[in-house]
Amino acid sequence: MAITRRQLFARVGKGAVPAAVAITVGTDVLKAAEPIPVPSAAVGLLYDATICIGCKACVAACAEANNTDPDTRRDSLHQAPSDLNDLTRNVIKLYKSDDDKEYSFVKRQCMHCLDPACAAGCPFQALHKDPETGIVGWTPEKCIGCRYCTITCPYHIPRFQWAGFNPRVTKCELCRHRLEKGLKPGCTSVCPTGAVIFGPRPVLLLEAKRRIQNHPGRYYQDRIYGERDNGGTQSLYLSHVPFEKLGLPELGPESVPARTLRWQRRFYQYFALPAVLYAGLVQVIRKSVKGHEEEAHEREKQTGLRAQL
Amino acid sequence: MSSPSQAIKQDQSKIRWERYVPVYGFPVVNSFFLGLAALVLVALILTAVRELAGLGPVSGMNDTYGWGIWKTFNVMVLTALGSGAFAVGIAAWVFRRKRMHSLMRMALLTSFLAYACGLLLLGIDAGRPWNFYWMVFPWKWNMHSPLAEVAICMSIYAMIPLAVENIPPVLERLWYFDSRLRPVVSIMERRLHYFFPWIIAAAYLLPGMHQSSLGALMLLAGERVHPLWQTPWLPVLYLGAACFMSFGCVAGTTMLCCLIWKRAMDMDVLDEAARITNWLIFGWLGLRLFDIIFRGALGTAFRFDRFAGVFWLETILISAGGWLLIWSVRKRDPQKMFVGYVLSSFGGMIYRFSPTTLAFRPNPEALYFPATIEVLVSLGFISLGVLGFLIAVKRLAILPAPLQEWYDMASYFRFRRPYIRWTGYFKFGYFGEEESGTAAGSD
Ligand code: SF4
Ligand code: SF4
Ligand code: SF4
Repeated sequence: MAITRRQLFARVGKGAVPAAVAITVGTDVLKAAEPIPVPSAAVGLLYDATICIGCKACVAACAEANNTDPDTRRDSLHQAPSDLNDLTRNVIKLYKSDDDKEYSFVKRQCMHCLDPACAAGCPFQALHKDPETGIVGWTPEKCIGCRYCTITCPYHIPRFQWAGFNPRVTKCELCRHRLEKGLKPGCTSVCPTGAVIFGPRPVLLLEAKRRIQNHPGRYYQDRIYGERDNGGTQSLYLSHVPFEKLGLPELGPESVPARTLRWQRRFYQYFALPAVLYAGLVQVIRKSVKGHEEEAHEREKQTGLRAQL
Repeated sequence: MSSPSQAIKQDQSKIRWERYVPVYGFPVVNSFFLGLAALVLVALILTAVRELAGLGPVSGMNDTYGWGIWKTFNVMVLTALGSGAFAVGIAAWVFRRKRMHSLMRMALLTSFLAYACGLLLLGIDAGRPWNFYWMVFPWKWNMHSPLAEVAICMSIYAMIPLAVENIPPVLERLWYFDSRLRPVVSIMERRLHYFFPWIIAAAYLLPGMHQSSLGALMLLAGERVHPLWQTPWLPVLYLGAACFMSFGCVAGTTMLCCLIWKRAMDMDVLDEAARITNWLIFGWLGLRLFDIIFRGALGTAFRFDRFAGVFWLETILISAGGWLLIWSVRKRDPQKMFVGYVLSSFGGMIYRFSPTTLAFRPNPEALYFPATIEVLVSLGFISLGVLGFLIAVKRLAILPAPLQEWYDMASYFRFRRPYIRWTGYFKFGYFGEEESGTAAGSD
């Protein structure tokens, strides 16, 4: 043999280590420079807090559209859930400032983020963003019920069913079963004032911009929440009070997964770095094991007791 | 200092751990053992209740605190204590600290038990565990999910490298059990040793990955974790905490066992372990402090709230532990060393527990406090680990001891318990005799 195994390892190592490091450090730098792509047929909701009258028709319609029992647990009479829960995909909440001068309703449902944190954390892709419509849906056959999504979602949307042996994760899936049949989502089809409307994301963005232009000074910062926030979302919000008051935190233009998992993603890129690390470890340990075995057998000769490895 | 204690100390410094010897002369089943078994039984019954009723009725978990102590304590905290096979192993095999080999079997056993019990509880904690079967289809994994990484990596690690590393003591016992088994056992041992480097290397890569991914889990929670804990360095800090905590667990448990079962302690090994732990602790504390100052979060440590309280408790416990460890090495005082290990590991446990629970603040009103059933199940699965440990150290050669102990054990079984067959060791012949080809030929 022209080269020994050792030399072979050394040669491979010389090439593999820089390659792995390049993959680890390099790829995501390129990726981070690009904005998150918007799915080709991205649909979404536009909610305008200045128009909403808080009638909660959408809350009832949502439960009906999704074939869910109305949540009357609060006073065992009215369907008045105080927050999203295992029966509630959509809720209307009221914000009132401390001096009671300013108030606003807010409709909370999934934002259908362009780079969803819930799907980034979900271990077996039970939460998955549809590549065409961009709807973030839940597949019961893939969900292990770990409840990681209830922790990762920056808007605290997915809710876990706490009772029963076959729990579900409940979240707005943009009525994808209705869209398939050519119907509109439950909430938008009943809204009496048009505070929440459904449509392709670009159309909704145009409409929101038109409203901002027509009503200068009406909207908070003249800004659409979700255009760029958290890397962009498909549910968009207009409001006259600060978005934070409505439970929409200021997350910055970079999406939560891109911001927080940058190094994690780099490290496991194509498994390059772990593989090189493994090869290196094997080399070092082979030598240690050999030395250790020799010593153990030496001791076996001295003591007459069987070597313990 | 009086002269007798001086004499004992000098005597102590001559003791060398040279062989793993089973704990003999103590029955496996005693009242403590039965108590633990009762706890395990209760936990198993309550597990059945949980599977039928769902998580809500049996636990304090709620929509805001989706994770309870089963994940945050039994998995996040206890597998850190059970990372001995990783931390001690790296010191022994990669950095070639030869003395650490005496602690290796303790490390492997405690790790295996901690991981096995953690994984069982992870399965019980999952709401839809039947869907775990996706684990066998790698193309369905979400490669970038820290949780997938943890679940997959931990199961593979505990079931393959860690389990395989724990085989030698079992084979050894079979070898002593019956001379007819010896050829088979020898062949198996040779095969095992052939693959050992690859297995051991996997046993370091995998825990390195999932112990850091446990930290990465909370990265996605962003600002909802208090700034004293939330940092891009969370994975590294989690891994580092696992290193010093597991050293504490392995060395501390070994010392405790020596105390209970009246074994001599090899202070050279323990001193070296304490020195390594001490380096790990102060390196870790340095990194933590540097990170907090660098991110400008130090101010929050001086507020008068529960977060600052937890932070200081943690930091003081860990640094006091580290300080006691150096002190004990200088003064050759095993008592202080033990306390040092306990304090530092306890501080580390609080650190590992904080980001998910104590320092997790999704909204100011929500609170999580474990329900009684939750605590009982958690305790039951810890007891299961302790039960396994008690059986293993009394039936297998796990605890290190001076050579003399081996001979003592041999004569104990030959003369005092000749009727015991099932202890395995010394059924045929006795020490030195029939032990191995090389030994028989040499004298
Ligand atoms: S809002 Fe939450 S649940 Fe909805 S897509 Fe974004 S991260 Fe997922
Ligand atoms: S609970 Fe289900 S949907 Fe949520 S992260 Fe876990 S596996 Fe995914
Ligand atoms: S889109 Fe459908 S599921 Fe989502 S909030 Fe509206 S009605 Fe509910």
